[in-house]
Amino acid sequence: MGWIVLIILVALALYAVYLYNRIVTLENRYQNAWSQIDVQLKRRTDLVPNLVETVKGYAAHEKEVFTRVAESRERMLRAGSIDEQAEAANMMTAALRSVFAIAENYPELKANENFRVLQEELAGIENKIAYARQFYNDAVLQFNNAIKTVPGVFLAGPMGKRPHVYLEIPETEREVPQVSFRPAS
Amino acid sequence: MDDQRPQLPNVFTDQATGQRISLLDWQASNRRASWLLSLFMIGLLGGIGYLAALAFDPGGAIFFVGIAAVLAVTQSAAAYWFSDKMALAAAGARPATVQEHRYLVNVTEAVAIGAGVPAPKLYVIDSPVPNAFATGRDPEHGTIAVTSGLIKLLDRQELEGVVAHEMAHIKNYDIRLMSMLAATLGAIVLLRDLVLRSLRFGGRRSGRGGGRAQAIGMILLVVLLIVAPLLASLLRLAVSRRREFLADATGAYITRNPEGLARALEKLRDFKGKLEVSEGVRHMFFINPVLKLNANSLLATHPPIEERINRLRRM
Repeated sequence: MGWIVLIILVALALYAVYLYNRIVTLENRYQNAWSQIDVQLKRRTDLVPNLVETVKGYAAHEKEVFTRVAESRERMLRAGSIDEQAEAANMMTAALRSVFAIAENYPELKANENFRVLQEELAGIENKIAYARQFYNDAVLQFNNAIKTVPGVFLAGPMGKRPHVYLEIPETEREVPQVSFRPAS
Repeated sequence: MDDQRPQLPNVFTDQATGQRISLLDWQASNRRASWLLSLFMIGLLGGIGYLAALAFDPGGAIFFVGIAAVLAVTQSAAAYWFSDKMALAAAGARPATVQEHRYLVNVTEAVAIGAGVPAPKLYVIDSPVPNAFATGRDPEHGTIAVTSGLIKLLDRQELEGVVAHEMAHIKNYDIRLMSMLAATLGAIVLLRDLVLRSLRFGGRRSGRGGGRAQAIGMILLVVLLIVAPLLASLLRLAVSRRREFLADATGAYITRNPEGLARALEKLRDFKGKLEVSEGVRHMFFINPVLKLNANSLLATHPPIEERINRLRRM
């Protein structure tokens, strides 16, 4: 009788270790998924001066647009928390969109090879951000499910794990890149 | 808070049965079916070896079973290591560069991020006919080749759909499975030729007089020799068709956009022209390069395009 109790206790302990590791793994996965988004945001921030330089060569008097881009870049570089980064990223997306909107009025700019490369690179980055955000939300969903369902819910409390918030996904077509980073809480 | 999470299209209606099934269940059942079929084919190969042994010389059973095993293993190993390089060479593909194919590279990297797999190597086939295929034994060695016509014809969402379909083949280990099945089929054919040749030229080796078991073994062997390659090819084609549907569903899940893939299929269906590729690699392509509109045939490598589009639209 004593043996049976002992075996059950050992099995329970082993299972608890497995559950603990699984929760930690899933948490690491979504934190790692954020770094995917971070990489793309940094690449975009690095490309901005190059883009501004190219566009200024053809449309120097569109000062308002350049100011907005510069502001959003400033905020992006200063941003610390995920919330701040998300907000700055939204600003930059809007600012960049207005750059590409005015570019429509300058056929010579549109024909510039450097500009075309930058346009494709930035569109590609927007797209990668969208996919990275999707992957991030998938990872958060898995983590939240793990700590909110039985048996993970019994361990989540003692481990101090709480459900994480998703990044909001706007109901827009991916072809027109639009990124909203406001956490949906 | 959780209610803001958008619905994923991971549940859809199976047209054949009219049942609503989840993608995960479907993936699991496909995997089971594929492995059962593979086991069956290996059993077929072993059976031929054993019967050949029985018919020729019961004492030499190990010899024929051994040959069958060695053939299957070496062919599978060769397929495992070299099938990607052979397929790329056969299709006349060259590596894509960031400078020349920035658009394709960006689209592929984005889809890879969404799928959570390493970005595959990219190759381009210079042909105006839109098509694509994937190769590589696991996600770490994944390779996708697309024609230059595909890049020109499709918009971003459609190209994402096709790339996601090919990435699904890599993620689901379809290429590994299909090349193993092809290798097993090759081994069966090789063994058949070997036995037929020794029947014709070598005659019977045993001088101990034909026992009854030997006679029955010989009859069974001849029947099996005729039936086995046919049966094996049909099975391989059935697996191939199932895997195409599965890759469509997985691709739609990765992009969360079944419509993009459906539109790509429509554009490819309406394109006039054939891609000249050798028969050995036809089954690998996104759509069959030669037969586009064939009906629900037992001999098709791919399901009919119409049915693929319909299933995507129902998700």
